[in-house]
Amino acid sequence: MAESTANPDAVPAGFDRRDFLRILAMAGGAVGAASVAWPLIEALNPDAAGEAQTRPIITVSDIPENSAKAVQWAGMPILIRRLTDAQIAAATVVAMADLPDPAQISSRVAPGNGHFVVVVGLNTGTPCRLEGDSPSDPRGNYDGWICPCDGSQYDVLGRVRSGPAKRNLAIPRFTFINDDQIQLG
Amino acid sequence: MQTEAKQGWLASRMPGMSCLCAMLRERRAPGASWLAVLPALLGVLLAVLLASGAVLSVYYNPRQAYASLQGIAHEVRGGWLVLSYHQIGASLAFALLYLKLFHTVLVRGYRAPAEFGWMLWVKLLAVLLLTGWLGFVLDGGAGGYWSLFNATGAAMTLSGFPGAVAMWFFGGPVGGATLARLLVFHVLLAFCAVGIILMARAATRRAQAVPQGRLVAFWPVYAAQYFAALSVLALVFAVLLGFAPHWGLGAQNAIPASTMVVPVSISYPWYLTPVAGLAGVFSGVAGHIWAVIAAVAVLYALPWLDRSGGAPPGRFYMVLTWLLGLDVLALGLVTAFPMGSGLPELLTFWFFFHFLVLTPLVTMMEAA
Repeated sequence: MAESTANPDAVPAGFDRRDFLRILAMAGGAVGAASVAWPLIEALNPDAAGEAQTRPIITVSDIPENSAKAVQWAGMPILIRRLTDAQIAAATVVAMADLPDPAQISSRVAPGNGHFVVVVGLNTGTPCRLEGDSPSDPRGNYDGWICPCDGSQYDVLGRVRSGPAKRNLAIPRFTFINDDQIQLG
Repeated sequence: MQTEAKQGWLASRMPGMSCLCAMLRERRAPGASWLAVLPALLGVLLAVLLASGAVLSVYYNPRQAYASLQGIAHEVRGGWLVLSYHQIGASLAFALLYLKLFHTVLVRGYRAPAEFGWMLWVKLLAVLLLTGWLGFVLDGGAGGYWSLFNATGAAMTLSGFPGAVAMWFFGGPVGGATLARLLVFHVLLAFCAVGIILMARAATRRAQAVPQGRLVAFWPVYAAQYFAALSVLALVFAVLLGFAPHWGLGAQNAIPASTMVVPVSISYPWYLTPVAGLAGVFSGVAGHIWAVIAAVAVLYALPWLDRSGGAPPGRFYMVLTWLLGLDVLALGLVTAFPMGSGLPELLTFWFFFHFLVLTPLVTMMEAA
């Protein structure tokens, strides 16, 4: 240690110029090979059209209150519903004991954008497309969605309330990229 | 585990592995020519072509060839780079192969016992020419489309067995499905080229004399030479990629093919122009096809056209070979000549005259 501080140019024992050149050549070769291979692997990512299909951007600001917009994504119907203040207030006070699959409101909506509920629109019992997107549709007793196949009922947050279904509606992976748009995937 | 022990473990279980290890430990005479690295570099370029071709085939659509290549260039991440890898890789592979063939003719490296290796190199030329032409056609540009149109038109007039082969290959006149089947042949021929190059290397090595005197191990002496050559190739590749990605490819294929616009003449990529110039001299039903076959056949027959026995190449033969090189280069430029100048005919005549008359005559005279 004392030696190396005395002479900073000293080469460690057992390490000569040939070793340095070998390491330099191998490092250069590895960098070269990697930079050739990089675009080949990079190009295997989805192209622009595939990316738009894989991670679509959806405008949510045009959804009227108390209605849901349905989009098709990854082979599933995705329902995006705008809640009224009254619906949020009603959903917040529901006792957890009344729910077959207890879930707080904070786990059903995105923080900061609490008016929007994004769920997969398939009944978790018999996998049918749910009804209740429009206020004029049948919505069951809980103002949410109802399954036309087995009669399972969900509330505005997509929590199961009655029927053969036992689990809440699945929530797809999504992010609010701004207050008007969400990106799925 | 020690390296030696690992090699022993693998060699006792996988036959080819001991062969690879033996290649690294092989002892050779010192001071080999830099041109000896050409087959290895060609192999590297074929690997680049296979890798980039595999990526391109993910997005390529033979029924909308031009549009899908535009999509690869603009919509696929790094697609423009992969496309350039493929185009420049093809250019450089042909450059190295032409250099290898010219050098072999110049030093008469085709003579027994190396004639089998030479025949394999000529086969590689034939396979790569066909693969390169298919790649040019698969572009879906104006040049490729009309070249294919002419080829299928000529092929459909053939009868008997050649007609049947042409029908299997093209599947009738050019149409929506033609490029789909030509894509399959393009890929198959590329894999054939890899097999041929491995065989050619093995045959060339076997034909070389057993080295005598002071020998050096392949690793690290020759390996260093190979890596240095590879660095130069990579540098040329990078310069082309960065500064001239479309060099020598012909501007015509940048225009989408239209069945209503017939080009005055087809501009081929530079590596096909000598063959196109030579073929263009002949007319008739399938004159083009037979001209190309004849040009490859005289190369194939070179070991027997050479009548020198074991004598070293003479000065006059060398001069004639350089002249042949210039002749082939000039054949690549024939589309630049004015029509009816008679120069393409003269150059084509000289090509066949060199191999069929001058080579036997001069080698016999110089050996006497």
